[in-house]
Amino acid sequence: MKLTQSRHFKAFSEPLIQNNPVSMQMLGICSALAVTVQMKTAIVMALSLTFVLAFSNLTISSMRNIIPRNIRMIVELSVIATLVIIADQVLRAFFYDISKQLSVFVGLIITNCIVMGRAETFALGNSPGLSFLDGLGNGAGYGSVLISVALIRETLGAGKFLGVGIIPEFLYQAGYENMGFMQLAPAAFIIIGLLVWLQKTLVKN
Amino acid sequence: MSDNFKSALFALATAVICSLLLTAASSGLKPYQEENIEVDRKKNILKSIGLIEEGRTYTFGTISSMYAENITSMQVDAGGQAVEEGSVSKTGLPIYLYTRDGSVKAYVLPINSRGLWGKIYGYLALESDGSTVSGFTVYQHSETPGLGGEIEKNWFQKNFKGKRIVDHEGNFVSIGIAKPATTAAMSEAEKANYVDGISGATLTGRFLSAGLKEILSEYEPVSIRFRSNEMLLVPQVPEAQEDGQ
Repeated sequence: MKLTQSRHFKAFSEPLIQNNPVSMQMLGICSALAVTVQMKTAIVMALSLTFVLAFSNLTISSMRNIIPRNIRMIVELSVIATLVIIADQVLRAFFYDISKQLSVFVGLIITNCIVMGRAETFALGNSPGLSFLDGLGNGAGYGSVLISVALIRETLGAGKFLGVGIIPEFLYQAGYENMGFMQLAPAAFIIIGLLVWLQKTLVKN
Repeated sequence: MSDNFKSALFALATAVICSLLLTAASSGLKPYQEENIEVDRKKNILKSIGLIEEGRTYTFGTISSMYAENITSMQVDAGGQAVEEGSVSKTGLPIYLYTRDGSVKAYVLPINSRGLWGKIYGYLALESDGSTVSGFTVYQHSETPGLGGEIEKNWFQKNFKGKRIVDHEGNFVSIGIAKPATTAAMSEAEKANYVDGISGATLTGRFLSAGLKEILSEYEPVSIRFRSNEMLLVPQVPEAQEDGQ
């Protein structure tokens, strides 16, 4: 069996494009609006979510046969909340400036529907290894949308890439101006909408 | 074993394990976080007096040594006299003095104002003339990101520089945040007491204006001494042995 046909590979690769959590399932949109003004915050947010998702899937999947059914969701939520708080604490200790910019949004990963959704639909029914890969794949899928949106917003809105100016000075002198609209949340809505359109067209063909 | 008992036991075990992990993360990372907060606080004091440029990165070491070189932190009483720190009998107001070549160039007041959703913490620096704002920074707040949260952004904070807390006759009026439409209708003299607010964040501006007024009036006796040039040297704690530090 080829690598690309294996179940493990599929668990990782499907959420990247065909079943992308943001652009196909419309989950996690709110944080995608909030943290995509800059590339830097988008990357850190994507990494934090991937960490939480992969390890919550792994933990919940390892416990799937012993979790009592009636308190299933509460247990899932405790696991997710613990991981989110750990991620937040690590950011505060080592990436203080970025954690200040992300403000409440790291904490709000707890309520991100992708995390709970994957725990319920995937981790409860699959082995820990597969679940971990599914978490990584979904995190990467979420991250790829976040980073695409941030790339467009930061380039057009601030003329920068990762905080470094990339629009040459002579263009500004010739009358080019940064698009202030791109810095605002509605711009992210429009970009995500366009991305969804593009992706659905591509996947259909 | 009944199902209910099993569920309760499982929930208990989960809770214990999770809380152990959280305690470990929180106490293990605390020294790093506290250092970050302390450096960030110092950085904000330095930024309020214009020693830190926006967009440049500074190492922890640079910040600490810049702070040690330029800033004297002390407590003063209402008359601008130094009060020994921690003395309970006199209520001292914390103040940070920016000194260069032995004379005071600016003084920084800690801001602790009400905001819309929580407290706003920052620093307001005034020049040694006791009436001109040299800078304003915010290092902690809970305002809505994108609206009131813009108070932490440079474009808003730089509006404070050069504004005055006194009117043209020299009477204390504090500094307020107003809608651009309101400030446009003001006379030139009045404009010096107002900064342009943030659209969509009228309430944050209103609370912050009130907070700034309260704090500035509390410090007004000190500012008066600055205005009459009585604070050009770092005030000494009475009976203190150290000199000039």
